[in-house]
Amino acid sequence: MDSAKVLIVDDELIMRESLAGWLERDGHDIEKASSGEEALEKIKDTSFDILLVDIKMEGISGLEVLKYVKENDPDAAVIMITAYGSISTAIEAIKAGAYDYLLKPFDPEELGVLIEKIIEHQARVRENLFLREDYKQRTRFESMIGQSQPMHEIFDLIQDIAPVNSTVLITGETGTGKGLAAKAIHTNSPRCEGPFVVVNCGAIPEHLMESELFGHQKGAFTDAKETKKGRLELAHGGTLFLDEIGEINMRMQIDLLRVLEDRVFYRVGGTQSIKVDFRIIAATNRDLEDAVKDRIFREDLYYRLNVISFQMPPLRERKDDIPLLTDHFLRRFSQETNKPIDKISREAMDEMMIYEWPGNVRELENAIERGVVVGKARSIQPEDLPIFHSDHVPSSNERSLKEIQKVHIIQTLEDTNWNVSKTSKILGIDRSTLYSKIKQFNIQKPA
Amino acid sequence: MALLEHMLVISPIGDIDEELIESISVNITRTFGFPTKLRSLIDDVCFAYDPDRMQHYSTIILEKLASKAPEEAIRVFAITTEDLYIPILTYVYGEAQLGGTACIVSTHRLREGLSSNSQAYRSRVIKEAIHEMGHTFKLRHCKDQTCIMHYCRSIKDVDKKSDQFCRYCKVLLDDEKKSLEKSISPAS
Ligand SMILES: [Zn+2]
Ligand SMILES: [Zn+2]
Repeated sequence: MDSAKVLIVDDELIMRESLAGWLERDGHDIEKASSGEEALEKIKDTSFDILLVDIKMEGISGLEVLKYVKENDPDAAVIMITAYGSISTAIEAIKAGAYDYLLKPFDPEELGVLIEKIIEHQARVRENLFLREDYKQRTRFESMIGQSQPMHEIFDLIQDIAPVNSTVLITGETGTGKGLAAKAIHTNSPRCEGPFVVVNCGAIPEHLMESELFGHQKGAFTDAKETKKGRLELAHGGTLFLDEIGEINMRMQIDLLRVLEDRVFYRVGGTQSIKVDFRIIAATNRDLEDAVKDRIFREDLYYRLNVISFQMPPLRERKDDIPLLTDHFLRRFSQETNKPIDKISREAMDEMMIYEWPGNVRELENAIERGVVVGKARSIQPEDLPIFHSDHVPSSNERSLKEIQKVHIIQTLEDTNWNVSKTSKILGIDRSTLYSKIKQFNIQKPA
Repeated sequence: MALLEHMLVISPIGDIDEELIESISVNITRTFGFPTKLRSLIDDVCFAYDPDRMQHYSTIILEKLASKAPEEAIRVFAITTEDLYIPILTYVYGEAQLGGTACIVSTHRLREGLSSNSQAYRSRVIKEAIHEMGHTFKLRHCKDQTCIMHYCRSIKDVDKKSDQFCRYCKVLLDDEKKSLEKSISPAS
């Protein structure tokens, strides 16, 4: 069973704590709210898989919390907690979209079965999403572009480390092209004739990870109709690229460490050991040293991976490359959309050179794509770019870089109704980066 | 300063079969690698009794046990015949402070349909004892149904699971044991 992100909403401390303690032993990630008001605050910032909500609370009631969740995060499952005497309200809650209700105190069996059912259902949804997304990811692979000093250093480094067989750890913010660097190492290595196999550790649902990596023997579990090779096996003779390595769970860390040490593994349900030969390149935007300190990443695995490491520079540190990258993306998107937009206006380029690009090359790519789609002229104008489409932004020469970022973040937050998840997706940065920027710029939601 | 010998304290509450205590001790030592010592830390659990529910509130018992733990005790395991609960659940077989000092198991429901000297009953109690002790070593519930850290919703589940840790839980337990040994061994 996968672990879920759970929010417990109950104004009774004892109930809240005892439920939290129980679910924590089950390995779930728990947050608690002591009122409906506090719950709404948390829901605005975080998306939860499961919410356990007490019906009867002072102030904002459980039903109101339910309504808010159903409007803003319809995939989340809400279980109402009720006492004898408020069953009719519970039935009302079911009509309003609650997954189920539980009478307190719960029977341990009842609560366990319910949580398991929800997690299985959500896992299946994620699985379908993953299978579609994964296909999209596989179709687009390009080469690294850049003539700036930091990129020259990266190219030189790749030339140096490509021929050796050591494990490589690539760090850097999201959207800086860690995957492209990994591919470049592979292409320039003696293994270039072999496969380059990508495992996006952050995208593969937890329960599929084992069989994705190790493969499975026919009959290993109900869905295993055929024997299937895992990505480890497929990478034999080539390079295995473990993207977002900081996201894998403890069990997989234990398994991976074993493979890295022995170069031998078993398929799920298999008894025959399989010997593999591949080079490992791992990438992450996380601070793995911090993760080791927090004991969410194994120290032994970290040292196995961190043999050679380098950091991809953020786009704001290689702004000289913006025109080159812009040109490249323009050509691609005008071809893909069949629109004769092949230039970028002077004004738009000026804006782009000032902007800080928190989402890096990926954000630039998205910006150009949007510019091509909405653009009406032969060349892209500033108003075609999502980063500057706000009216009340003063002209660029009056603004510092920080102001531009701040204004842009506020604008995007307003566009998404202050939904942090959506905003971070649009900006191409992860949620924690967005939070730190919100804090840094002292951005506050207008009352 | 004299070196304390670190140990796991086994604390029976009330009248518990001596042979049962003995096999719990043997199994806990074998599993966790520290010697055990029998020590009665509390006489009864009356202070945790809820007259409405007619059960005993285990979380409060754990707090008391932890406060009474002798200095050399790295963990305390208690066993009672009384029925235990936590506020949100109708009953629990036992409870532990996750990554903390104390844990407890109740034999009340584990007896179900068995005589007190049967091997099956003893095996249930030992499994739950190791399970709860595992929590104090930071282990969480395991999805592997044969692993001793699997959460059992019914007696049937308890009988089904083995008295062993799966390979993942074993690695995690070893990590925890190692860091514990490091923290209690005197600095050189
Ligand atoms: Zn447990
Ligand atoms: Zn286990």
